[in-house]
Order: sequence, then C-alpha cells, then structure tokens
Amino acid sequence: MERIIQGMAPSEVVAQLRKADGYYITNTARDLSQSDFKNRILLHTDILAAPSRERAGYFSLEITGGASIHVDILRKQVDPFLKLELLREKMPNTMFQTLCRGVNLFGYRPYPQNVIRFTVREFAKYVDVWRTFDFMNHIPNMQAVFEEVAKAGKINEPCICFSTGPEHTDDFYVKKVKEILDVTGSDIILCIKNHGGLGSPQRIGQLVDAIKQSYPDLPIHYHGHNTDGNDIGRIAAAVINGANIVDASDSSMTGYYGPAPSLTVIQTLKELGYTAVGLDEDAVIETSEVIRDQRQYYAAFESQIKGFQPTVQIHKLPGGAMGSSLEQAAKGGFLDKMPDILHKELPRVQKELGNYWSVTPGSQILWTTAVANVQGGERYGNPSGDLRNLLLGKYGPFPFYQPEEWIYEKVLGADWKTVLEREGGMDEIEDMDLEHERTTLREIIGAEPTDQQLVLYLQHPNDAVNFFKFEEKFGKVYVLPPSIFLHQGKFNEGTSLSFTDHYGKEHVIEIGPSMVNEDGESNVYLNVDHHQRIYSFAPEAQEGVVVATVLSKEEIQTLAKNGDIRAPFAGNICEISVKEGQEVAAGEQVAMMEAMKMQTPVVSAIAGIVTTISVKVGDAIKPGAKIAKVDIDE
Amino acid sequence: MKKKILVANRGEIAIRIMRAIQELDYEAVAVYETPDKDSRHIRLASEAILLGDGPRCDYLNIEKIIKAAKHTGACAIHPGYGFLAENPDFAKACEDAGITFIGPTSEVISNLGNKVIARKIMAEAGIPMVPGTPNLSAGEDGVQEALVFAGKYGYPIMLKATCGGGGRGIRLIESDEQMRKEIPVARSEAMAAFNDESVYLEKVVINPKHVEVQIIADKEGTTIHLGTRDCSIQRRNQKLIEIAPSMIGDKELLEKICQTAVKAAKASNYTNAGTVEFLIDKDFNYYFMEINTRVQVEHTVTEMITGIDIVRTQIKLALGKPLSFTQDDIQLRGHAIEMRLNAEDPQADFMPEGGKTVSVYRSPGGYGVRLDGFVYQGYTIPQVYDSLLVKLTVHGFSWNETVCRLRRCLQNFEISGPKTTIPFYLNIVQDPDFMKGDFNTSFLDTHPQLFEYKETPNEAEKLSKLIAEIHHRGKNPYAL
Repeated sequence: MERIIQGMAPSEVVAQLRKADGYYITNTARDLSQSDFKNRILLHTDILAAPSRERAGYFSLEITGGASIHVDILRKQVDPFLKLELLREKMPNTMFQTLCRGVNLFGYRPYPQNVIRFTVREFAKYVDVWRTFDFMNHIPNMQAVFEEVAKAGKINEPCICFSTGPEHTDDFYVKKVKEILDVTGSDIILCIKNHGGLGSPQRIGQLVDAIKQSYPDLPIHYHGHNTDGNDIGRIAAAVINGANIVDASDSSMTGYYGPAPSLTVIQTLKELGYTAVGLDEDAVIETSEVIRDQRQYYAAFESQIKGFQPTVQIHKLPGGAMGSSLEQAAKGGFLDKMPDILHKELPRVQKELGNYWSVTPGSQILWTTAVANVQGGERYGNPSGDLRNLLLGKYGPFPFYQPEEWIYEKVLGADWKTVLEREGGMDEIEDMDLEHERTTLREIIGAEPTDQQLVLYLQHPNDAVNFFKFEEKFGKVYVLPPSIFLHQGKFNEGTSLSFTDHYGKEHVIEIGPSMVNEDGESNVYLNVDHHQRIYSFAPEAQEGVVVATVLSKEEIQTLAKNGDIRAPFAGNICEISVKEGQEVAAGEQVAMMEAMKMQTPVVSAIAGIVTTISVKVGDAIKPGAKIAKVDIDE
Repeated sequence: MKKKILVANRGEIAIRIMRAIQELDYEAVAVYETPDKDSRHIRLASEAILLGDGPRCDYLNIEKIIKAAKHTGACAIHPGYGFLAENPDFAKACEDAGITFIGPTSEVISNLGNKVIARKIMAEAGIPMVPGTPNLSAGEDGVQEALVFAGKYGYPIMLKATCGGGGRGIRLIESDEQMRKEIPVARSEAMAAFNDESVYLEKVVINPKHVEVQIIADKEGTTIHLGTRDCSIQRRNQKLIEIAPSMIGDKELLEKICQTAVKAAKASNYTNAGTVEFLIDKDFNYYFMEINTRVQVEHTVTEMITGIDIVRTQIKLALGKPLSFTQDDIQLRGHAIEMRLNAEDPQADFMPEGGKTVSVYRSPGGYGVRLDGFVYQGYTIPQVYDSLLVKLTVHGFSWNETVCRLRRCLQNFEISGPKTTIPFYLNIVQDPDFMKGDFNTSFLDTHPQLFEYKETPNEAEKLSKLIAEIHHRGKNPYAL
C-alpha cells in the first residue's frame, strides 16, 4: 500500500511522502550503535535482526555512514561494502540510509572533490537515502555529494543542523532551507538534525511548522537523540507539526545517548491520532526480542556512566560524543572536573567560538578546547590544529559572528591579522591522482584492488590496508557472533563454538588446553572440525602463528655477517671443523650439519678468529641456535 | 601356518610391500627403530620386531635383520628402496641364511652397484654411455686423475659415489678449485652413507631428460620391459615428480630405449624387477646411466599404466615362479603422474620440516587416484629419516586429463603441521610448460616463478586462528 520500497525513484518517494496520511519511521541502527555502543554493534547482530526489520516496513534503515565505516574496518574487521551487500540480500525492500559529513565524507577533514565523488558513486550502489550535513551549515560543503547522489538516482536528504541560542531562529533556518533547495531542487527530503537532542518539544514543533509554512511540499525528516530522555516529546511535536519521517530504533538496545525506542514513538503518536505508515508493530517487537540477548556481549562498549543527561541542554554535546568524553575523562583522571567542563567551560567556549553546531568535527573542536582550557590553566593557551583551522575559516565561514580578536591572537599569534590574511579562507583542495593511489595500493596488497578497496583506502589509508591484511589472515569474521568476537577473558576448556562461514560451511571449534613451553611460548589447542590444531603465541607476539617463532633466514644471515654463526635449519652437528682461537677465512667451513640424510656445510661469512664454539658433535639443534662466534681479527 | 615375509624398511614403501604380501595371503613382519615406534607400517604388520634405538643404523644392520627374520620364521625379505636394498652383502647374508632375498642375486647387485663394473659390462654389450672415469685413486692421486679428466672433457662434471644411487652421493663440479674441495667431502659422505668411500666422475650431459625403463626378469631368462618413465623434474638430483610413459613423441626412439634396457638387463644376468636409467640430450641421443637393482619409489606410475603389480610380481619371481605374462601382454594405457609430497619448505631451499606433528590430514580420493603414504593425523614426523609423507599418483586417459586430476587432488589435499611441497606442486601443475609435457632436468632452475606462492589456509583455519588469539589473550585485540 503506502509502503516505500527500495528501488523507487526519488520523485516517487517524495510524492508518496507528501500524500501519505501519517508519518514514517527510519530505524537508525547506525546511530544506535554509534551513540550507545561506540559503534561496535556487529554485522552479525544486524543480520540476526534483518528479517524482522525488513518486515517492519521502515522508511529506511540507517546502517552505514557517520563513524561506522571507519569502525567497520578498524574494530569490527568487516568490509563496509560487503556489509551492505549481505544486508541487501536479506532486506530487498528496505531502503538503506547513510549519514554523510559532506566534504568530510565519513571522516574528520575535507577530502578532494574527486575522492568525494568517487566515494559517493561507489556507496550509492547500495545506499538509497543520503543524509548529508555540514557542521557549519555551509551549504557549498555538501554540493559535490548532492550532485553525485542525484546522478546515481538516489535520494538526497540534506540536513540543517539544529542548535539553541538567541541566533538560532526560525528565520535563520528557513533561509538555510532556501539555500539548500536552490542547489538541490525540490525532490529532496529535508532533515532537521538534532544530534544533541536540544530544545524542547515546543521549539522543535515551531521549527517544523515554520519550515512547512514556507515549503508546505517539502518532506521533513526529524532526527534527534534521547540524551535528556525527552526525544519522544520532540518527535511527537515534530509529527504533529507536519514532519513526515522520524528516527527511532529497537527498544531492547536503546540507551541514554542515541535514538528513542521506536515502539514508544508508535504508541505515543497512535494515541495522538497519527499512524506510522506501513509499519508492522509485531515485527518491530520481534526485532527487539531477537537481538535482546545479544546486548550482554556489548556491555563493555556501553557508557560507564548511566542515566539520562538533561544537562545536555547546557553543554550541547551530541550523542556519540557524550560516552566518549566521559570515558576520556575517566581515563584522564579528570572526572571530577567534568561538571566544570560540561556546564561552565563548554557553554562559554561555544559562545566565544560563534555558537555554531556541536557536531562532528565541530563538537570535537569544542570539547578539546574546553578540556585544554580547564586542564591547561591558560585559556586558549594550547590550541589544537583544528581550532586554528576553524579560526582561519578552513571549514567555512562562521554562521553568526566571529570570535573576538583576543582569541584569534591567542590561537594564531601576535601577527594574527597577517596570518588570517595570508592563510584565511577555505582551501581549494587539489584532486588526488586516483590511478597513482590505485598503483600504490596494488603494490601494498600485491593484487589488483577493487574500486571498493580503493575507496576504503582513500578514506583511511593505513586502517584500510591493515583491514585487508587482517581479512587475508583471519577470513570473513563477521560470521562470528559477538559472544565470540567480543569475548572477554578465556573460553572455558571444552567450550564448543559453532558458526557458518561466509561460504555457507558450518564449523565447530572446541577449546582445548593451553600450555606454555620452556621458551615461554603458549600453545593453544583447538579442535577445528574434529581435527586438532595448535596455535603458538610467542610471549609478546601480537598475532597467532602456526609455527613456533624462530629466527628468520634473513635474521640468521644478518647475524652471520657479524660473525654470529647460527644453525640455518634443524639438524645434527656431525662435524666441527675448527677450534677456538683458530683463524678462518670468509667462506670457510666451521661445522657440518646433517638433517634428513643431507650434509650441509656451515661456513663463516666473515674472516676472523673463532672465539666461541657453542655446540659439540652429535648435538641436535634448532634453527637459529648458536654454532660459533667469529670475531674480526684486528 | 601362513608363510611370513619380512619387510626390511620403513615408511610408505614398507606399507606398499605389506599390501602385496597380504594380498598374496602371506603374513607381513615389520622391523623398526625406536624413533619409528609410532609409524603406521608397524600397525599394519602381523608382527613387529624392534631392531634398536637407531637412528638409521639398525635399519642398516644386516645381522639384526637376519636375526629378526629367523626369529619370526620369515621365509623371505623384501628390502624396499634405500637402506639395505642395494647392499650385496645383505642379499648375500640372506642367501647364506636360506632366506629368499626379494631382488636380484647378490652378485648382480654387487656388479651393478659398483658403477665402474657396471659401465664395463654395458660397454661390452654395446650400450651407449656418457664418458666417465673408473674409481678415483685414493688421496691426491685421485684428485690429479679428476683434473686430467676435466681437462679432456671440460666442466661441468658429476662427482659420484660409486655405491650411491637415488640421487645420493652426487655432486656437480664446475671448476678445478671446486673439484679439489669436494672430493674429500664426497668421500666422507659416501663413507658415512654407504660404508665405501669410492667416488668416480662422469661428464655432465647439459639439461638432459631423465628417462628410465622398468624391467622384469624371471629366473628362466625371460626379460621384459614395462615401458618408460620420465623423472626429469628433480631438485638437487632428487626426483620430485615422475611420469609414465615418457612424453617424448618419437615412439620408435622410446621402443629402442626399452630394447636397449632389456639388452642391458640380460647382459648383467638380471633377475627380478629393476630399472635401467638413461639420460637423453637435446638431440635425443641417449646414454646409459645405471641400473637400479631395487623397486623404485616411482614404480607406481608404471603400475598404473600397465596394470602390473610390480611388488607382487617381485615376490612371486623371488619365490621361484616364472613370469605369468609376456612382453606382448604389456600394453601402456594412458598417463600416470606421481608426486612425492614431502615435509619440506620449498621456499626455504626445501628445508626439511621433521619434528613437526601432522595436525590435519585429509586426503583426496576418487577416480584414477592412488595414495601410498604412511602418515596420519597426530603423527610426529621423525627428524632422523627422510621427509616423504605420501606419494600421490594419478592416472588418466590423456595427459591433460591426468594433469587436471592431479591439480584437483593437490587442491583437495590438506596437511597441516609441517610445511609441505603441495603448494609448490600446485604451481607446477599449472605451469604452461608442464601442462605441455615439456620439461627436462633444468625445469626447476628455469622456472623460478614456481617458488612464488602464498599458502592459503581455508576459512575454518583462518577463523579458528582468530578464536585461538581471542582465547589466548582473553580479549580480541582487533576489536578494542
């Protein structure tokens, strides 16, 4: 009926939104993961939830974008493209949504235009709705993304970032909407991005109404966070005033900083006479039931500080930043200074820096500046490079007013005026030579990279390469449930773990004993598909290796050049050809080794005097064992 | 009571022989040294005798083996290959003890085992041969003789242990300086390995094909051949891959070589099974190299294309039966390839991987596939013996079918624990020259790309590696 199906043209979707009697819900699983679980919700859990999420009939599932792409490759070891491909198989009808930071894409700093366009083109093969924002609400920063999304036939959902304060008037925002529509045309959805969950229900209601007064046909998507526990109120006010789509997520996983529970939204608005269009309540409930059990495995990634934070209205930190800032304070030992930072310094810094929107990467600038101001003693005495760039206007012009001159002076130095004149303004970022990057990546991974691999590499060069290497070594690990992948502590001996791999093959792994040998090396015994395997770990090694760590051939050769003669392989000493104190020439035999019936001479790589002989005839030695030492005769 | 036959060997060949013994409805007696106590050949035998702690000395101890045969009442001994197989003293000791030695007579072994006498016999019979020397004299005189020979024929020259064979005791010499240095080393190695320090020289035929002929002769004077084998793909003169028949297109030439082999066998009064080895140069001249008076490792390929069970035939001939088939009965059907799957790391100069435990052993099967092995899951490879784990032999109607079958088998063969030659072989079977059947003894040297491979563990192995690490560290270091 009125359900919006993946594959519909943007104009059809927008038309459907305009005529629908009721509102739609986007399941912001990405935001839930990012704000309440440090982005760690695994693809495994999303796959578990996929069938009921598909049946639930959401407007869209926001499942990629924001910081998730970086965390996918850095901490979840999953290919962000494969993730979308696999979910698409299970959710053919649900539109996928992303959150894109405009010129900053899914990162923290501006990318060249050709990288932006290439990245959007690749992701647009899977992503239907593109929620794009700029933390300065500087519309040109989003232009390239708008164009590529439109070219790909996908839906643009430009954001106006929302905040509170005397400058944040309806007039200002309506003017911003006009700026957007001027470049995108009318077949878009407008998002009100309330990342901090700021303002009262009434304030949000007014804003939606003001926009609808000017643009009655413009579908509005309200996005908010439940940090103060009152996003349901703002959602309801938004819908009552004409918002067409709202954000929420699965109740069994909701926390304190991210989206509100979807079932509560549905129930609240039902009483008020608003229908969630196309939504299957049973499927919404079922999703929560299916993934409820998984939450325990993510406990380590939930905020250590529990409870709603109505004080967000004062400090304005967005959802995801709340958890990480508290964690940083706990680790940095300044938890006691948090009230000062959050409630005094942060609002002051915000005001001093132009009262822009506290969202990535702007929120990080505000937070680090406030912490530095409190911790460092002298305010603005230790400015970050990003603060400097902000003042230089690298991210775009200040929306309302410029910071006072003394701040410029503190940050840019005494000759700040000259610096500002010389360096100020947005940089033209030169296009990257993509073919050159492709060649570099080919050399690193030793194979022709796919376009998708190149995209990941362009976003996060080191982390992408590490991920490719990880996958080569450990396979497609998304098949492991959080109970294994995020396991804390050792498994109990005898534990049986089973899972189906990426190629559809079921495996069972039984945990066997672990033993430490005399070299301090740990041997972990596993029964893999009923066959025993042993994994050895050197005392300080960073990774599992099947064979015991010994000196490499190169290491043995290097030592040999210093007269330190080591066994090149395992075997027996069958002859010692020299005596201590004897002179040897380079290439002269010092011993004969025998292994598996072959005799091999061991020679000195340098000329000198034999100072030590460490073996005797008949010794069985390991590769790398000391045979003799030759010192250069001086 | 069933007749008993003692197998004076270990590893895969011991099992191969026991299978023939058991099929003839005899009982097999195994002997072993302590490091071999877990070897599967012991478990397959009816009874087993511990010879001593070894290593390698007890398998070479004639007295102990004869004693074991007498003690168990074995009527015959099969020596396999290596160890005492070509030791005429052993054959003689069996003869003296009234035990049937499964092989030629001690006199034949003695004559052919001594490369110098063998060359003399062949020269008299008019068999074409590579220029060479008699045994070099002891000490500096021998070195001088060697240098004179080198002066006449030029380098490279092969320095060979007179009692060696099977690739053992052979050195390639390229200069006078190297000749001086290597003669003493070769002598001491020969002394250690064969208890005879005699060495001699042979002119090297550059990049030859190594083609050999399987011959079988009964005691009534019937000598026939079972066609050719090509063993050109070698490393350090050790055969890695053997095929039957030779891929040389000139069938008349092959027939001529086979006839020469029969003539050579007859000239030496050969009985039982043996192999006449030839080198073939780039102009298709062929030279007699030696006769191996034992069952060869690679006998399986001949069995596959002829249908003749060589070991069974050996036993029957030794027990006095005449050949039950004639030359006309022998037809060569299709192609067979054997690969020696060794516990070695080809990327580290074939460094042996002894001492490691086979944690996973999953072998292929199906049509045209034969396995002759002895390792099993949980088996620790002794460091003191050779590195052969299993011989994979495939048989196919066409060369292409056979190569494809071989590739499939290698892909499906899973051995974990020691590194093996499997990934290296996988490169070989996908090499265009190999696929064309075009190779000689320089194959490995001229195809260095064969050594470029990455071992790709299967998905379960990869995932369990991560699980092992999570378990070991008590956390997932890649998820923090």
